[in-house]
Amino acid sequence: MAGIVTEPWSSAENGNASMTAKGSSRELRHGRTAHNMSSSSLRKKSDLRVIQKVPYKGLKDFLTNLQEVILGTKLAILFPAIPAAIICTYCGVSQPWIFGLSMLGLTPLAERVSFLTEQLAFYTGPTLGGLLNATCGNATELIIAILALTNNKVAVVKYSLLGSILSNLLLVLGTSLFCGGIANLRREQRFDRKQADVNFFLLLLGLLCHLLPLLYTYVATEDTPAAVISDMSLVLSRSSSIIMLISYIAYLVFQLWTHRQLFDAQDQEDEYDDDVEEETAVISFWSGFVWLVGMTLVIALLSEYVVATIETASESWNLSVSFISIILLPIVGNAAEHAGAIIFAFKNKLDISLGVALGSATQIGLFVVPLTIIVSWIIGINMDLNFNLLETGSLALSIIITAFTLQDGTSHYMKGLVLLLCYFIIAICFFVDKLPQKQPNGLNMGLQPMNNVVTATGGGVFSS
Amino acid sequence: MGSIVEPWVTAENGNATAKGSNRELRHGRTAHNMSSSSLRKKSDLRLIQKVPCKTLKNILSNFQEVILGTKLTLLFLAIPLAILANSYHYGRPLIFGLSLIGLTPLAERVSFLTEQLAFYTGPTVGGLLNATCGNATELIIAILALANNKVAVVKYSLLGSILSNLLLVLGTSLFCGGIANIRREQRFDRKQADVNFFLLLMGLLCHLLPLLLKYAATGEVSTSLINNMSLNLSRTSSIVMLIAYIAYLIFQLWTHRQLFEAQEDDDDDAYDDEVTVEETPVIGFWSGFAWLVGMTLVIALLSEYVVATIEEASDSWGLSVGFISIILLPIVGNAAEHAGAIIFAFKNKLDISLGVALGSATQISLFVVPLSVIVAWIMGIKMDLNFNILETSSLALAIIITAFTLQDGTSHYMKGLVLLLCYVIIAACFFVDQIPQKQPNGTIVGIQPKNNPGSGFFSA
Repeated sequence: MAGIVTEPWSSAENGNASMTAKGSSRELRHGRTAHNMSSSSLRKKSDLRVIQKVPYKGLKDFLTNLQEVILGTKLAILFPAIPAAIICTYCGVSQPWIFGLSMLGLTPLAERVSFLTEQLAFYTGPTLGGLLNATCGNATELIIAILALTNNKVAVVKYSLLGSILSNLLLVLGTSLFCGGIANLRREQRFDRKQADVNFFLLLLGLLCHLLPLLYTYVATEDTPAAVISDMSLVLSRSSSIIMLISYIAYLVFQLWTHRQLFDAQDQEDEYDDDVEEETAVISFWSGFVWLVGMTLVIALLSEYVVATIETASESWNLSVSFISIILLPIVGNAAEHAGAIIFAFKNKLDISLGVALGSATQIGLFVVPLTIIVSWIIGINMDLNFNLLETGSLALSIIITAFTLQDGTSHYMKGLVLLLCYFIIAICFFVDKLPQKQPNGLNMGLQPMNNVVTATGGGVFSS
Repeated sequence: MGSIVEPWVTAENGNATAKGSNRELRHGRTAHNMSSSSLRKKSDLRLIQKVPCKTLKNILSNFQEVILGTKLTLLFLAIPLAILANSYHYGRPLIFGLSLIGLTPLAERVSFLTEQLAFYTGPTVGGLLNATCGNATELIIAILALANNKVAVVKYSLLGSILSNLLLVLGTSLFCGGIANIRREQRFDRKQADVNFFLLLMGLLCHLLPLLLKYAATGEVSTSLINNMSLNLSRTSSIVMLIAYIAYLIFQLWTHRQLFEAQEDDDDDAYDDEVTVEETPVIGFWSGFAWLVGMTLVIALLSEYVVATIEEASDSWGLSVGFISIILLPIVGNAAEHAGAIIFAFKNKLDISLGVALGSATQISLFVVPLSVIVAWIMGIKMDLNFNILETSSLALAIIITAFTLQDGTSHYMKGLVLLLCYVIIAACFFVDQIPQKQPNGTIVGIQPKNNPGSGFFSA
């Protein structure tokens, strides 16, 4: 789900064989993204002995295909959650169950989607593969956001996207740096900071776009009607979204074309060969494409369940919707690349971990968010970039803390621990936050406070 | 608009670098002067040689050097047009537009004249002269607006100058330089940039605290008390900011001069073609001085027009006064050094571009702003350093983004593009902002919203 487009080896496409002195033929064959490499750590080698016994060739191919795709990951045990969720919906089981099962089912699907995009990248070449990853990498977040928009749940959209950025910046990065630091206690861990820097100033650009609409509400005097402010905020948000998309396209041009050498990870030696063996695609192009479409549809289905049942789940589990959207959903959605980033940090390959986490954060911050705004513009829903004070403040400080932590190009476990603890503090903040957020459509987003102040303030909160 | 980067060693204290050539030892040239000199034309004196009378010849050559010596000469026509328009009471927006156009070449000529005077006065005094007169246009506009009691225009125009230098000038330079030098790695000396940044951050602190005083107050505190506190804090901070600026001048012109000398490049030959290398002054000291005084008076006149007509222009063009002051005025005022910074970035001489942009931002933030507050104090006008939350936050994020972008000492086009897009977003923010700001003297600055919620807006 977190598509980043760092291409650690030179691509065969433009024949830059000069990238590293140790360029082997394997590396020259295709450009592998850090994201794909991290997810590949969750892959299993397919055991094809059972299938070899099947007499029919067509059936054999079909079964091979099935085994590669469905069983080719260590997360395959979570796959049964998908039919379970569908069955529960039809049987009318209580909604919190559907919510939980759908979330569980999304995890392996996200990982499989990244596997499939990697397979397709074998056929399309590195640049196109990078583009594919850049757009489909965060497919889960994008689909959840659009589905929530169509259900007019603007708050869920904002929270889930914000939570994804925070999770990538603090949780994934923090655990990677922490585990990597513990495992490599005696070694100095270095990484190339130029690559991280590009991500950071793009994230700061995104922060500016969130900050200005937020400040409009504070600039207003008492006489200014709320309609004027929200109108201004909307116009500014939509223009900012176009600018953010322009900068994302420039980022892709920068990363995939003009300054590609900046993003080539330092070449590692033999220890790498043990993990990654897939030099050729294991499934054909069209079957991969069909699987990709199919899995995307299943993701859409499960996301539909998630979006529909989130309020009832929040009430029955006694957590606010904001907490579920900001903390729980992204943890589930990012689980696969989270594990991959940790594994690479263990091996002291920090460039890849950083590429995964920061690239994903940039992609969500500068691609998924503005795309959502533009989609809402087309649909006719009023979504702006004002993510409210608490969320924007958390985002600002997490970007600043992470940028500052990574600015010297080295790492140790303290850095990871601090980022991780920052994430916990933010999570606690949203866990404790029981203020109902008033939505434009009057929906109540949080738990009711104990003393029913709400009823005293009148029907304003409950009017829809 | 002046910065005080002196790329070559000065003759004054005789510190010859290993590569010091005669030309460089002769005088200290500031980055600002070098950047503006890219807009200069070599004067063609053949016509004048034919004039028989010697004094007439001198006067004419003097005239040609000063008036016609720049590529922006065409814009000079706007000045008499503006004066005519004012005398005959043409539309006020027209006067505003013409005055803006007329200010552009004047600013460039003032920098040329200060450079000429620096030949006579030596590099240190020349540097000081540049440091004070470099941003003459902004200073004069600020003081005139104060005299007309338009405190909001002062605040907005100064803030807009800082934002324009930090994001627009720097962004376009880095972007164009990055595109032109796409195969090369562009490096610059970050120590020089750093000095500017921590001074800018100090200025930001001085703006932030009066702003926060307003929010720290609970319900019962009266607004007059808060305003009083804010005013006292602002005035004291201004004195501190001026002390910091004087220390910065000492640091830059005297004790750590070597930090500010640009790295010598191999391709100096390429340099000579473009820039008119004036090793000797082309006009006499007193004529230069007289021209400087004269041009400053004309700048004052045009600025008077600008300040007087800004509201009508804003009404008739449909833009808020905030937008015109923050975005349009600085673009016009900075146009000359903007062009120069871009040209130097094309040549991969990033130190000079950075010196121009950052030095100018520091000068406005730590010299012009506190000077305006003190002048207001003398005049009895209540101007404080509270620039309101939207403007202060834009300033804070601009400083943080620029500081972060420049902290590793290299550059590529993405950096320039991001800074540029930040400027566009901030401009869009002020463009969209239709909330009228109520000023202490009750005048309304801003476009009235369509639905008039109450007559409270119109009280003057």
